[in-house]
Parts: sequence; C-alpha cells; structure tokens
Amino acid sequence: MPVDIYWRIAMEGDAPALRLGDITRGGFGPYRPGALAPGANDGYGPLDYMAEVARATERAGFVGGLMPSFPETDDPWAAAASLTGETSAYRFMIAFQPGFLHPVQAARMSASLQAATGGRVVYNIISGGGGPQQLWWGDRVDHDDRYARTSEFLDVLKGVWNGPYDHDGRFYTVAGGALPPDLRGQPFPEIYFSGSSPAAIAAAGRHADYYLSWLEPFDALAEKFAQVRAHSDTPPKFAVRVDVLARETEDEAWEEIRRGWARASDRASGGTESVGWKRGRSFTEGAGSSYRDLEVQPNVWGGFDRLRPGPLFGLVGDYHQVAERLDELIRLGVDAFILAGVPHLEEARRVGRHVLPLLKGKLS
Amino acid sequence: MTRVHVVAPTRAPAPAVLPDFVTDVRPPAPGPEHRATGRAAELGGLSGVLVPFDPGGHDALVLAAAVLRDTRRIGVTVEFSAAAATPVYAAKLSASLQRYHAGRLAWWLAVDQDPAVARAHGDVLTGPARYERADEFLTIARGVWSGRGYSREGAHFAVLDGGLPDSRVARPFPRVWLSGTSPEALDLSARHADVHVLAPGDDPALVPDGVAAAVRLPFAGDAGAFTDQLRAYEAHGVTEFVVDPADPVADAYRLAEHVLPRLAKETGHAG
Repeated sequence: MPVDIYWRIAMEGDAPALRLGDITRGGFGPYRPGALAPGANDGYGPLDYMAEVARATERAGFVGGLMPSFPETDDPWAAAASLTGETSAYRFMIAFQPGFLHPVQAARMSASLQAATGGRVVYNIISGGGGPQQLWWGDRVDHDDRYARTSEFLDVLKGVWNGPYDHDGRFYTVAGGALPPDLRGQPFPEIYFSGSSPAAIAAAGRHADYYLSWLEPFDALAEKFAQVRAHSDTPPKFAVRVDVLARETEDEAWEEIRRGWARASDRASGGTESVGWKRGRSFTEGAGSSYRDLEVQPNVWGGFDRLRPGPLFGLVGDYHQVAERLDELIRLGVDAFILAGVPHLEEARRVGRHVLPLLKGKLS
Repeated sequence: MTRVHVVAPTRAPAPAVLPDFVTDVRPPAPGPEHRATGRAAELGGLSGVLVPFDPGGHDALVLAAAVLRDTRRIGVTVEFSAAAATPVYAAKLSASLQRYHAGRLAWWLAVDQDPAVARAHGDVLTGPARYERADEFLTIARGVWSGRGYSREGAHFAVLDGGLPDSRVARPFPRVWLSGTSPEALDLSARHADVHVLAPGDDPALVPDGVAAAVRLPFAGDAGAFTDQLRAYEAHGVTEFVVDPADPVADAYRLAEHVLPRLAKETGHAG
C-alpha cells in the first residue's frame, strides 16, 4: 500500500524559524524589517507566499498540503480556490467544521473545486474544540451534538453529491438537492477525520477514509487506532499529523529546540474542550522543567506547542533518526502523514530532499 | 463616475465541434470562461465582474476566487444566499479573499430566491423573514469584521466574543450589493447597501439616499444604441451598470473598446 505524505501549509502566517516563533511572513502581525510578503506596496502578499509553499511542497515530493482552519488563520476554502492554477498535482486538504457552511453549499463549492483542479480536493473534517472558541465561530451546538451534526452534514453532502436528494433531519432540511449537470460525476473528496473523544471515534467509524490523529507516544497512538478499529464496521486508514525538526546531526536539531525553548512561553490551553490536546498534555505530566524532559521516547518530543500554536508532539533528530521513526509509525499502521515544519517553505524542501528518500516503509 | 461590470459565465460553453481531420487537443471538460472574462474586463478597463449565483452552474465563490487571482484591479462581486454559511464564516472566508486580492471582493446577497431553488439548497425560510435574516447576517458580518469582543444573539445567528484577527494587509469589508423593490428590500438596502441593483424599468428614485443605483441589463443592439440606453439611465442618477453578455469574453471586449469610449465622451469618466 502506498503511503500518502502531505505537508502542512501555514494559514496563520509563518515564522522565519521555529526557535524564533514570531510570525513575520504572511501579513498578520505588525510590520517589521525582514518581513516577507507584507502585501504593502509591491502587490505581493500572503497568497504569493502560500503559492510558493505549495509549489515547493509539490516539487519536494509531497502529495499535497493540509490547510488548517482556526480563528487566527486565513480560510482554507478561500486559499484553495485562489490557488487552483498554481500547481498541477498538489492536493488541497481543506480543514473545515461542518455547521459553518450549509452542506449543499459545501457540495457545490467542493464539486466546483474538483472541476477546477482535476479532482485534487481532500477534506479534513474537524468538529471543533468547543469552549469559547466555538462561540467565537458563532456555533452554539454542544460537543457531543457536534459529532451528530457532523454525521448528518456528511450524509447530506454525499446525498446531494449523488442527488437528487431529500432530507428532513435534526439539523438540515433539503428538498430536491442535487448538483447541476456541469458538476455531476466529480470524484467525492477523500475524508480525513479528526477527533479524539468517544463521540468523534464513533462518527469516524461511519465516515472516515482516514482517521487523523496528532502524534502521540507510539504505544498510545497504537491503542487509539485499536479503539477506532473496534468502533468501525469497515476500519478506516490511519493518518498522523507530525511536526518534524530534522537536521544533519541530532545535536543541531536539539540545539534549535534549546534556543526556541529559552524564549518560549508556556501556552495555556485557551479553555479548549479539545480531548486531543488534554490527552497530549497528560503524556508529559510530571516531566521535569528541561526541554529534554519532554522527550518521551527517542526523538519524540512533546513541547512543540510551546514554540508555536498547535499540536504538542513531533520528531526531533537527524535525518536518519526521523526517517526511522516515521518507518516505525508505518509499521504501526500509519497509511498517511501530514508533516510540518517552520518555516513551511524551506523545511518542505529540506524534508523532501533529506528525509523522504530515506524511508523504507513496511520493509524496514 | 460611471462603472460598468460584466456578468461572468458560470457554466461551461458547449464546445464547437471540429471536423474529424482537424487535430483536437482541447481538454475534455473545460470549465466556464470566467477567468477569460475577468481578464477581458481587466484589460479593457471595466470596473468589475459579477459572478452570479447559478443553481445550474459552478459555485460563485470558487469562480470568483479564480477571477481575483487572475486580475489586479477590477472588483469581483459574488452573489450568494444568507443560508449558505453563517455570517461569521462568510466574513472569515471573505476576509481572506480581501487579504489575498487587494480588497476587491464585493457581496451580492441574494434574498428573494425562488422557493424551490431555496429548498433544494436547504433553505426553508420564506417571505419577509428572509429580509430579517439578511439584516442579521450583514450586521453580524460587519460586527466581527470590525474587531474583537463582538457579541450578538440573533433569531438566526449568534456570536460570542467574536472578531477577526488583525491583519497587516488592508482588508476592507466587501462592498454590499442588494436588489429588489419591495418595502423590505428597500429598507434592507437603506441600512446595508453600497449598491442597489434595479431591473430595467424599475424607478431609480426608489434607491435609498447614499446608495449607488445600478441597473442590470442585457447587452443588446449595437454599441451606439447600447450607450444611448446607458446614458438615459445616467440621466436618472444610475451610476453603475451590470451587463449580461450573450458571449461574455467577446462582449467584455466590445464594452471596453466600443461602449466605454462613447460613455467617457459624455461624462468624462467611465470604467
């Protein structure tokens, strides 16, 4: 089985280095000398930097890019629809929460994007961390109900895709929903489904092509996959979102972390209900205060969230070590990766050149 | 200053059938010619392109983003219904388009949709309630756009402590286009519209004060006769025209080369 390897694209702007943290690429923060794509007077702006990342990603050997969606990011639909002409094989993995868009609108947008890109749209369905962030989005639906809505949303989306379709449900009502002739017959996007709670795992069993998890200590990850398998009639494939800090030598890699750690703040959870985040934190509870104390197993480091917003765990090491850890994950059942590094442009080129060629897959 | 917009196509044209002996390398399913229409409008100095909501065509937001990427100067107006997305999400998506494309996006909120079309798109609201929802939609979208700490609990939408992140890149709220001649439609325009679009024959005096009057009409007759038609509207205070072309790309160039110069002769400015 081939393994699909994606690379994240920064939707929140980008930093010049993980150790520096400050977002100076992409036009969100205040201007400072050296900022890239500030969109000031030259007409080049955030989208031009993202287009550069997409092109570099495609060339480096990745199948596409995850376009994440949080309050502080740009919007993945806007980005994907603006970038359709920049690449020829790059897949746009669009993160979105059902409920913000009507499923019929989502079907129309998706099919139109499939037509514009030759079928390069992939979904990352997220159902929301809850708490204040969910109300920021204007969403009042409770945590467990959101997964029920996600299920109904995907039912309607698929129904309309293969319409005509009628539906009278708890969240949506549609009479005679269908795609127009111009958009019929487009391939339905692959679904990467995120969520660590029991409600999420139950919903994933029904809809996911890939169950997508953040990286965790490998035994915990294996246990999580086993749970998803147990809840699915047809088990999905598995995908992991992994930050990568790979250098020629292990010392160089840890030196980057050490320097970043020296200026890092301990990020609060922001009151999130995200089960994945709490789970991640639990794996480093009681760890010492040195950055190396968060290395829970060789090269698996749980402090990335202190250096940039997002998941906790990632891989730190030399090119061979990182490739070996990725191979271990493949042997553990991982079918797809979403890798990431800061800055997303240069690190895509580095990982594509130095790490991906070392992968051995199941043979290792 | 008179502004001329051309309506972009949303469906793929039927391809011309080439004789058997002519080598045909055309891609199998070409999409609509929205990008070529946008480029024609840009090259020809028109003010913009309208990408309409077409239940039988491609999605307007997706087409509009591609037109924006292909152009630098023209406005791109996208028509959609308030039932398609929450106002927070519409604002967030549009804020990114504004950041990416120099603030050239405009919204045409479609309110008075055919009921069967609305139901097929998951919208069961009918009658004047649709105008209340549109009012709430635009109010909340503007609210979250303007800054942090915005809350509102409405009949259709709600947001708590909302507000888009700051952007170094200029990110103006989209120009708002509305239409309709009912009291509810005109009232909504008075509160929210930058542009109010009339049908041919509607009285321009209906357009609320402070809102630009526009007319949407087909490109009919020769350039001279069409220009005369536009001038007659101009005399009644209409400053924007949305032109439905028979052949979008060719007509965008015809507008640019034959109609704009005639308009400019009279008014001093056109585009």
